Amino acid sequence: MSAYRDEDPRIQGIKTKIRVVPNFPKPGIMFQDITTLLLDPKAFKDTIDLFVERYKGKNISVVAGIEARGFIFGPPIALAIGAKFVPLRKPRKLPGEVISEEYILEYGRDCLEMHVGAVEPGERALVVDDLIATGGTLCAAMNLLERVGAEVIECACLIELPELQGRGRLNGKPLYVLVEYQ
Amino acid sequence: MEIMHKASSSLSCKISFFPSPDNIDSPRTLATPFRHSSASSNSQLLQLQLNRSKNHRPALSPLRCTASDSVKRQEMAGKDGQDPRIQKISSAIRVIPDFPKPGIMFQDITTLLLDTKAFRDTIDLFVERYKDKNISVVAGIEARGFIFGPPIALAIGAKFVPMRKPNKLPGEVISEEYSLEYGTDKMEMHVGAVEAGERALIIDDLIATGGTLCAAIRLLERVGVHVVECACVIELPELKGRDRLGDKPLFVLVDGA
Repeated sequence: MSAYRDEDPRIQGIKTKIRVVPNFPKPGIMFQDITTLLLDPKAFKDTIDLFVERYKGKNISVVAGIEARGFIFGPPIALAIGAKFVPLRKPRKLPGEVISEEYILEYGRDCLEMHVGAVEPGERALVVDDLIATGGTLCAAMNLLERVGAEVIECACLIELPELQGRGRLNGKPLYVLVEYQ
Repeated sequence: MEIMHKASSSLSCKISFFPSPDNIDSPRTLATPFRHSSASSNSQLLQLQLNRSKNHRPALSPLRCTASDSVKRQEMAGKDGQDPRIQKISSAIRVIPDFPKPGIMFQDITTLLLDTKAFRDTIDLFVERYKDKNISVVAGIEARGFIFGPPIALAIGAKFVPMRKPNKLPGEVISEEYSLEYGTDKMEMHVGAVEAGERALIIDDLIATGGTLCAAIRLLERVGVHVVECACVIELPELKGRDRLGDKPLFVLVDGA
């Protein structure tokens, strides 16, 4: 069951720390910049705490983070809940044997890779990224994990762009976000 | 070449900064076995990559204390007086030959991230060193610096500043160009992320030639920040990156070969 945390007093502080940069990377896009959140140690800590409180004690053994901003939020969560951290990367960054999942972009395709052997069948996994837009990247991430027999428990993001309807594209998997941007 | 271990020189406590989860001791092993390169194949391969000077550098000194260190040395177990956590961290790092190109022995830290205790120990070793040093900025270099930097920043109460490849950071940035083996690359930092007078730590997973770390140092110094130290999990000493950092100290946990 996905949920917003509007009622938690920490949410407001987090929301105000996210900077919106217009027309980046191209005209018409209002870019949600989380780097300003990272400059506020309390707000950054609150962000991590909110996720950790939700996932601690749920027997999650894998936190998969999507390159590159998922690398910022995933590891602190993984460390706090005692899970391993698995980076999901753009092509040809991971050395050694990988599996690949292709996904559709607005124009063209891209690919996400994961190390063979990083995750074992039956493991319970969380997928973390800073933001969900169309859901294409998160979908690819979930597919990678499921292909090796892991169970994706939930996808977790700081920010959702609800107009892009990414939530509905997650093959029925729940999505948890802290903030939505209308 | 054997992987040499470097002791942390300023440990004051072994308290983990993360709560102990229930499954801390259950081993998580990667299905693909680790590969450790033999000494002879290593030296052959390194010849392809290194500009060795005829005058070898003297044996590496143990990790330096900065002048301001006044932390008591804790009594440490282990033959060389090194922290016992180092061994496990070192053995959790996987070496992949011929990646990204023939002759390079790639130091893969992703296997370390799969070992929950070793990953936590890695962070703890850095946190113990830096927590009382009044550091307000942890700068992490894209992308693997993003994995180690934020947990350290969170534990020591510093802000985290990502140092990125071109055109990734939105809004106003400053850029620093640096040399690659062939050509140049650029590193960017947000304008206004850091303020003059702040004390900073720079984090990356590995130091090779030191070019990237140097660019990061210059970016921070250009805006008046004092870079206290550079910290990496792994150093490749033959590439002499440490010397390229000028007067900036370097702290590493493990030597890679």
